[in-house]
Amino acid sequence: MSTAATTAVNKSTEPLAIEPFDKEWGVGISGLTENPSPFPRINRMLKWVKSIDSTADSQRALIVTECDQKYAMYPQNIKWAMTLKELYERVDIHIWPDELIVGELCAPPNSAPIYPEFAIDWLVDEFKNRPMDQRKNDRYVVSQQVQDDVFNMQDYWKGKTVSEAAIASYTEDELKGSHLQKCVVLESLFLYAGVGHFTANYERLLKLGFGGIRREIEEAAAKLDPTDPDDIKRAEFYKAELITQEAASTYIRRYGELAAKMAKEEQDPVRKAELERVSSNCLQVAEGPARDFWEAVQLWHIATNMIIIESNGHSVTYGRFDRIFYPYYKHDMETGNLSREQCQELIEHSFIKMHELRKIRDTAAITFSSGTIMGGTALDVGGVDQNGNDITNDLSYMVLDAHAHTRLPNPWMGVRLHENSPWEFKVKTFNVIRIGTGEPKIFNDGPMIQALMNYGKDVETARDYVGVGCVEPSIPGKTYGWHDSASFNLAKMTQLAINHGRCIDCSSQCPRYAKCAGAGGSLGPDTGGLDTFQSFDEVKESFEKQMKYWCDKMISMVNKIDMAQQRLKPLPYLSLLIDNCIEKGKDVTAGGALYNHSGPQGVGIGTAADSLIAIKQVIFDEKKVTGQEMLDALKANWKGYEKLYAYVNGDRVHHYGNDDDYADEQAKFVMATYCANVEHRPTAHGGEFMPGVFSVTNNVMHGSVAAATPDGRKAYEPVSDCIGPVHTECCSHDHRGPTAVANSVAKLDHARIGNGIILNWKFSPSTLTGVTGRDNLINLMDVYFKHDGMQSQFSVVGRETMLDAQKHPEKYQDLLVRIAGYSAYFVELSTELQNDLIGRTELSFD
Amino acid sequence: MYRDENGQPYGLVTNIQKYTIHDGPGIRTEIFFKGCNLHCLWCSNPETIEPRRQIGVYPKKCVGCGSCVEVCPQQGAPIVFGPGGLEAVRMTDACRDCFKCAEECPGRAIMVWGEKMTVPQLMAVIEEDRSYYESSGGGVTLSGGEVLVQAEFAALLLQECKKAGIHTCVESALNFPPETVDAVMQHADLVIADLKHMDGEKHRQATGAGNERILQNLKRLTEQGKSLVLRTPVIPEFNDSMEDMAAIGAFVRDELKGRLVQYQLLPYRKMGTEKHATLGQHYPLGDDYVPPEREVWEANLKRLVAMLKEEYGLPACAGSGEKLPEL
Repeated sequence: MSTAATTAVNKSTEPLAIEPFDKEWGVGISGLTENPSPFPRINRMLKWVKSIDSTADSQRALIVTECDQKYAMYPQNIKWAMTLKELYERVDIHIWPDELIVGELCAPPNSAPIYPEFAIDWLVDEFKNRPMDQRKNDRYVVSQQVQDDVFNMQDYWKGKTVSEAAIASYTEDELKGSHLQKCVVLESLFLYAGVGHFTANYERLLKLGFGGIRREIEEAAAKLDPTDPDDIKRAEFYKAELITQEAASTYIRRYGELAAKMAKEEQDPVRKAELERVSSNCLQVAEGPARDFWEAVQLWHIATNMIIIESNGHSVTYGRFDRIFYPYYKHDMETGNLSREQCQELIEHSFIKMHELRKIRDTAAITFSSGTIMGGTALDVGGVDQNGNDITNDLSYMVLDAHAHTRLPNPWMGVRLHENSPWEFKVKTFNVIRIGTGEPKIFNDGPMIQALMNYGKDVETARDYVGVGCVEPSIPGKTYGWHDSASFNLAKMTQLAINHGRCIDCSSQCPRYAKCAGAGGSLGPDTGGLDTFQSFDEVKESFEKQMKYWCDKMISMVNKIDMAQQRLKPLPYLSLLIDNCIEKGKDVTAGGALYNHSGPQGVGIGTAADSLIAIKQVIFDEKKVTGQEMLDALKANWKGYEKLYAYVNGDRVHHYGNDDDYADEQAKFVMATYCANVEHRPTAHGGEFMPGVFSVTNNVMHGSVAAATPDGRKAYEPVSDCIGPVHTECCSHDHRGPTAVANSVAKLDHARIGNGIILNWKFSPSTLTGVTGRDNLINLMDVYFKHDGMQSQFSVVGRETMLDAQKHPEKYQDLLVRIAGYSAYFVELSTELQNDLIGRTELSFD
Repeated sequence: MYRDENGQPYGLVTNIQKYTIHDGPGIRTEIFFKGCNLHCLWCSNPETIEPRRQIGVYPKKCVGCGSCVEVCPQQGAPIVFGPGGLEAVRMTDACRDCFKCAEECPGRAIMVWGEKMTVPQLMAVIEEDRSYYESSGGGVTLSGGEVLVQAEFAALLLQECKKAGIHTCVESALNFPPETVDAVMQHADLVIADLKHMDGEKHRQATGAGNERILQNLKRLTEQGKSLVLRTPVIPEFNDSMEDMAAIGAFVRDELKGRLVQYQLLPYRKMGTEKHATLGQHYPLGDDYVPPEREVWEANLKRLVAMLKEEYGLPACAGSGEKLPEL
């Protein structure tokens, strides 16, 4: 039994952390705890940061707008470098009470800077037409002054933004499938904002400092031939890099000077000493390397903020914490420079600093995904080193404890597991998962590393991966991955494939009607329909043709956005922190990194698979209905076809997610078709496309534009999430429990999914209580990972969900709950018992 | 033992539940057998009592398509519709083994409790999760209903599991002659048995049978050295007093010599009311029976566990979530 195996961990620095490895924080209690941290400062800061309204700040936008005119004569990269220089010299800075780590986003905590260079019309529209302080979620309170500042700069940016440039380059056929019209492809993520989705080389930065990086630039620049046209361009790049490095150092130094000034004025001797230390930290790392854990965390934090200040792409990832910081931590433990408790407090503090980052989003975006926070503040622990040895150390445990002590949605934590991960580390990981906040997710090193190797990395490099943002496998400091460059509606493909390239809900109500159906045409190519198909093979062939056509459109649009980003928004600061840019003399957006990718996600694989399965079984195998009848049912949104609706949703029709080969074959087909049309195609910044299979919450968005599908989904319901099975309004299509889901999902070739997958698990807290609940969950995941499952994340369902499950039992068919002698499905229980379960508290013994 | 038209033995199974983690060690596949010779007042799985296939009705799932009436050889006579749609199916003698209405019902508003499954069919399902058993030290648990109602079939299935190297556990109330018990339990690596009351008369009133055979079987199995987990569902006003439990404690200590892997006191749950309704039945304790508040029974359970541990030295615990000791 693997559960009995215990591996001694890291004997050199016992104990591992300030908490025991098997500390339990309860099951499913989530964040409902007063003062979760043992550190009063952390609890104070948590209360403080949560008390501040989210807002927007116009300082960055004003300086950027001014500089865009002032430096218009320069090449783009130098213009942006000069802009950063002015920004970091002029912007207001603050040090807030209790802070031991300093640095803001050119805006105070919980305040979002504004990035007019990507797009501005949407923000004006939001301010004018949809007051953000009246939003139900993602509420922002923005002053009239800031709104006026934005209104005043709108005219200047007209025609100058990245989004306008990219959209202007779309063809008519692309436009109609884009987010602006029928949304077959949601390509807007990198259109109205920055790209993000990478990890800087923090190890290099901490070791060299900005001064060391400056010397690298100077050395490279010295080798140039001043008459060679290519070298003249490189010289411009190096000039931009030097200006930017100086700007960055200035920003950090200003915080050091401010801290020194505040220390002089501080009456409280304890705080005075803290401020003096903050000052010396900043003055050191403004140009120099980090010499201890505190300096390292300070530099890591502010260097990352400057990435986000330059460009607001989300999923700017913080890297492998236990790997980056262990040398500094070890040094401090050995010399007594800092105590373990101080390091723990600094980690927790850094999480709060991540939580105060804000990104303002439009109403459409927040309808489908809540997004007040910056988003994608990913940070990983665990896993192997380049030689395949486990790297788990004290910090791996301390980071997990830090989440239990803060319970914030930041950072987005990932735990890398492999066959030699210590048992204690798994216990710690799953005890944190069982709290029920949804953190951390877990990665399986095997298929993650294989996926990276399938996209051109050698095994040693691949082993150093980090999960960027949600889950995307990426090499720290070496990959500019454009992970999450679009999301592709697989469910919509099944509709176009069975309805002559037309939407199922095609009608004269559609704004496109005159151009599409009204003109006797269709949205995509006419590849046949269920009214004429004679065999299931014809259905699959039509599906493949639609996939090819629309994947081509997606790739073209993503590349056009890529070109617009390159042309208008080079990233001289990020280019300092990603390897090979200096060596190549090339901006990171233009292909300066070693590895370049673009990773669009296929969304609704379950819906597409179950739709094909229903067509195969019900129309062609059983001949229960004709193809025409199925089409009529979909067009009627199942009205008048209740019998067919109940049948395709029922367990007599095969469904993906039940360890049933008949069904799982179609999921494999959908995935293989998507992969074949995406993988290894060239991207505009060099490198190759790689497919992903996850939706985050885009399955709701893609569902909202798709009429009924043959799997028994009604019009505009969400499509299936990530790589999971279908849940329709009628019922869940998986009905054989978690092992069957794991087996079905593991039949897909995860390592082919270079941009990553997500598998969402939902457990009720009562299923996971006690050592039995914990160990069997670990065992379930051990087997899923042994079968090359790539990733898992967990919702340990709490009270709110159960209340909702009472109201909408049809949506919670597979919600397993723990009763007395066994587990049972929540919806099959009496109201009283449901109420009893809802009333259960942490550490319940039954 | 049931046999199909080809002479193949089959069992009647109401449910197969994967990822069961509280009926034996590790991750298990649990198979619920149909048929029971006790009729406990608190039964939460009433669909497992009758040793034959039965119609179950979920009126809310009915889409009103009328297929059931169309295919019914009796022109829908047994199918009862009310003002709100489908209400019940009253099986008549003429229905026998028909079940056409259920087979045709698209949304399983009319369904069948009990499926005929052969040993190879069950083994195929069991094998799907083999790697989970291996990783977790789990296996197969036969439960019910009452497994021993289909003793011959259960023995066949257990032998196949043993041949395949899969850990076996049988949950039973043991209300059978010793030879029936032994014929099955010799193939079980772990037995989970129920003991509901030491007073035979009270036992009879609540379950329809006395406890004499149960006590003898428990004694014999422990003498044989069988690994045994004992359970008592703690039912309000039936067996939840210190005296009731002390009597069981004394029996286990004196007659079973304390030879238990674990003794689990399961809290009472008002469960199965919906399943009773699908069968056109009422909850035996009363549909409107209101169980005690959580704090009340939780505190009582803790007291009972402490008493059994301290005064009788039993490996007692509340609920079934405590890890079993290594066997």
